[in-house]
Amino acid sequence: MLSTLILIPLVGVLVLCLWPDKLESKTAKLISGAALAFTLGWVGLLATRFELATPGFQFEELLPWVEPLGLSYRLGLDGLSLPLLVVNSLLGLVAIYISDPKLHRVRLYYILLLVINSAVAGAFLAANLLLFFIFYELELIPLYLLIAIWGGARRGYAATKFLIYTALSGVLILGTFLGLVWLSGNTSFDYDSGLAAALPLAQQVTLLVALLVGFGIKVPLFPFHTWLPDAHVEASTPVSVLLAGVLLKLGTYGVVRFGLGLLPDAWMALAPWMAIWAVVSVLYGSLAAIAQTDMKKMVAYSSIGHMGYVLLAAAASTPLSIVATVFQMISHGLISALLFLLVGVVYKTTGTRDLTVLRGLLNPERGLPFVGSMMILGVMASAGIPGMVGFISEFLVFRGSFLIFPVQTLLCMVGSGLTAVYFLLLVNRAFFGRLAIAPPTSIPQIDLVLPQVSWRDRVPALGLATLIVAFGLQPNWLARWSEHTTLVLHQPYQGFVQARTQSAPLLSAAVADPGANPGVDVGADPVLNVPALTVPAASVPVAPHAQVSLP
Amino acid sequence: MTKTLPLATASVHPLEPFIQKLLGAEALLPDSKTNVLEVVGILKSYGVVLDAYSKNLIYIADHQFLVLFPFFKYFNGEVTLAKLLRHWWHDRINFEYAEYCMKTMLWHGGGQMDAYLDSDDFLQRCGAAIAAKIKSNPAMRGLHGLFPDFLPEQVRQLAYYSALGQFWRVMSDLFIDLSDAYDAGRVQTIPDVVAFIKAGLVAAAANPITYAVEIGGTRYDVLPKSAGLTFLMDVAVPYVEAVFFRGTPFLGTVSYNAQANQISVDQGRFDYGALYADPLPIGGAGIPPTLLMQDMRHFLPDYLTAFYQSQGRGLDDVRVKICQSFQKSMFCVTSASLQGLLPHPADTTDPTERVANHEFLAAWMDRLATSRLDVVQL
Repeated sequence: MLSTLILIPLVGVLVLCLWPDKLESKTAKLISGAALAFTLGWVGLLATRFELATPGFQFEELLPWVEPLGLSYRLGLDGLSLPLLVVNSLLGLVAIYISDPKLHRVRLYYILLLVINSAVAGAFLAANLLLFFIFYELELIPLYLLIAIWGGARRGYAATKFLIYTALSGVLILGTFLGLVWLSGNTSFDYDSGLAAALPLAQQVTLLVALLVGFGIKVPLFPFHTWLPDAHVEASTPVSVLLAGVLLKLGTYGVVRFGLGLLPDAWMALAPWMAIWAVVSVLYGSLAAIAQTDMKKMVAYSSIGHMGYVLLAAAASTPLSIVATVFQMISHGLISALLFLLVGVVYKTTGTRDLTVLRGLLNPERGLPFVGSMMILGVMASAGIPGMVGFISEFLVFRGSFLIFPVQTLLCMVGSGLTAVYFLLLVNRAFFGRLAIAPPTSIPQIDLVLPQVSWRDRVPALGLATLIVAFGLQPNWLARWSEHTTLVLHQPYQGFVQARTQSAPLLSAAVADPGANPGVDVGADPVLNVPALTVPAASVPVAPHAQVSLP
Repeated sequence: MTKTLPLATASVHPLEPFIQKLLGAEALLPDSKTNVLEVVGILKSYGVVLDAYSKNLIYIADHQFLVLFPFFKYFNGEVTLAKLLRHWWHDRINFEYAEYCMKTMLWHGGGQMDAYLDSDDFLQRCGAAIAAKIKSNPAMRGLHGLFPDFLPEQVRQLAYYSALGQFWRVMSDLFIDLSDAYDAGRVQTIPDVVAFIKAGLVAAAANPITYAVEIGGTRYDVLPKSAGLTFLMDVAVPYVEAVFFRGTPFLGTVSYNAQANQISVDQGRFDYGALYADPLPIGGAGIPPTLLMQDMRHFLPDYLTAFYQSQGRGLDDVRVKICQSFQKSMFCVTSASLQGLLPHPADTTDPTERVANHEFLAAWMDRLATSRLDVVQL
């Protein structure tokens, strides 16, 4: 069942490779699109058969591969990977749909897109550490080529920088996996949450640091982020959509799956530091975004800021915050894909992304009113305006993390406020005022007419916007898939969460005491385990019967 | 925003070529086939719209005299459910635009009419009409007693309703005639258009502007013939000044901050009129220039629709295109007006008269320096 998700795109690759005659762009697009549509349908089929109450891997597949190495082809699907697989197929489809029909080297381009999709699906499905690593590395090459061949003017620089950073990330991750298995005396690299249980804390901490740096490069987190803005600026729009929407999620997925899931003792030891790291990343990303004058760079820096929330929520490791990590990944995937998509349309239509010259694009008659409206919706979602998925994910992150790391959470909330600052700057500069795409001159000029954006170009943005609003209004449609998996992930951290909430009695008591603050009734919330203040520890709810309540 | 006018002390006026064009019976708008097509086409639809505006303005002046709550003033006396529904549906002539223009004229004043409306003769006539109108209305009598200036000011406004209605009556017919002349091949160039309009204005120049209302079977002259108000100097010129040049800062598409001195305290330095308007709307709707464009959209001649269809975004940005064409046409009307108002014949050989003509046009060109004159040349 699961291999199909990896194989369908590869079948598409095979068809593209073997296609006789000259491959027309339209044909290649159709073949790749069909492959990914089929993949999306297959994920949908899996979702219908997915048992929500089963916390572990489902639809497992196991094929022995290189046994002496401990490498097996073991795949599994759980609540963490299922939503990400949907986003992978969906955004892959969007990327293919919006690809420039006039680009050169058509065959190679679509093959690379399909290989990325297949590799990312493999990484999300892999239940063997080495297998994950193989898929993780496999996705680098096509992405490197996509930037290096079809990128902007400085594509060589950006692609090489990307390759060096992510190769280093791969080395660190491989090192961690090897260390983890060899130090624990195992022979198999199969995913097992008890893998590191017997390791001394110092070793665990060392492994976790290496793992966090490795995935931190991919996420990316400050100060390993410098490859991302360059890669985004040089990449074409479809590649940017994939990069922000899916590929960065490999980093956060890795942090949650392998850091939080495999190294609980070290995780608990480093969690406060990770929360501080998250704050630095969030604030740095947001402040850097404010300073940008390139629309695409601004959205890229906002990604750095918003990925920090995932680290904060993962560090807090409450059931709610772990759900929040999944939610934030999906939410960011959809929102950043929408924003990059729209920036791409603006660039295609006006020939610039420079916020110092773009003005008044919302002009109803001659500007890009639809794109502008979608952009406003996208930035509102990103800034966490209620009614859209960004609000739910940020609310879950803050709500889930606040009692564990109150100061860090509050500082991250400042980052949320800063999101509104830089995106309002973007909207105000580029979309309001008198229409202009060049600096004002004293030479009289004919009133500007921008080419109209066709419905064909509007459809993907509309689809993503619909999902953003739908999940914002019905968050359970998304959260239900991950609840049980996240509760299992939370299990080792019950004591930690309890201790943290007790260690901040003044603050949490003030919030938890309904008498002192009748508006906030956190004291009775089973999700945060705050009842530990009044209820014996033994009664703390444990998976799988506990429910994650969503607003 | 307050703009610094170019120094009139320069040895050669920066817009000297335009002064020469006007003296040489040419226009401020370059002569081209497309310009002729746009200008004549748009003036035809403007003529149709002006006809409706004019009829309504005169109806309001004559039949809504001192009706303080004129709910059905746009219905021209014919109130039916179908018309009411259409009014609410907004697929109608936006008579509001005509009122904006009337109020702009009232606000900026100018000409003999403004002076007459402040004269004792007017107050006396106005007083008689008011007395007749409110004699059996205790509420209005009370109002008049408390605020004796209020109803006379309403009558002044009604006088402008009537005057603008009469002015547009002539202009509407003139523009339709122009279109007919174009269709018949008698008008082929922009100078032809300007000459046609100038001839029309000159022919109507001395038409008297009068206004009388009938109350209780008695006729009350509010603007009597004896006041000597004429079409060209007392309505057309103030209209051009108020609507083409000065305009109103708060009824356009841009927001101004008066407290931050973005608007000149001197009304004479206003430049918010049609010749300065930016055709690109900025996010707003329902603002006056848009209302006029919306109205003209319904009456575009086929050749102009086809022309717009073939350009850029086709009919999707037709209102912007209409506004651009309209601005061009207004530069033609301004050309005709300035030529008609020259103190001496344009081809005079008397050096003193030539200097006077030149100075007259230079003064107007000073004001056009910040207009869209440079853009319509493109």
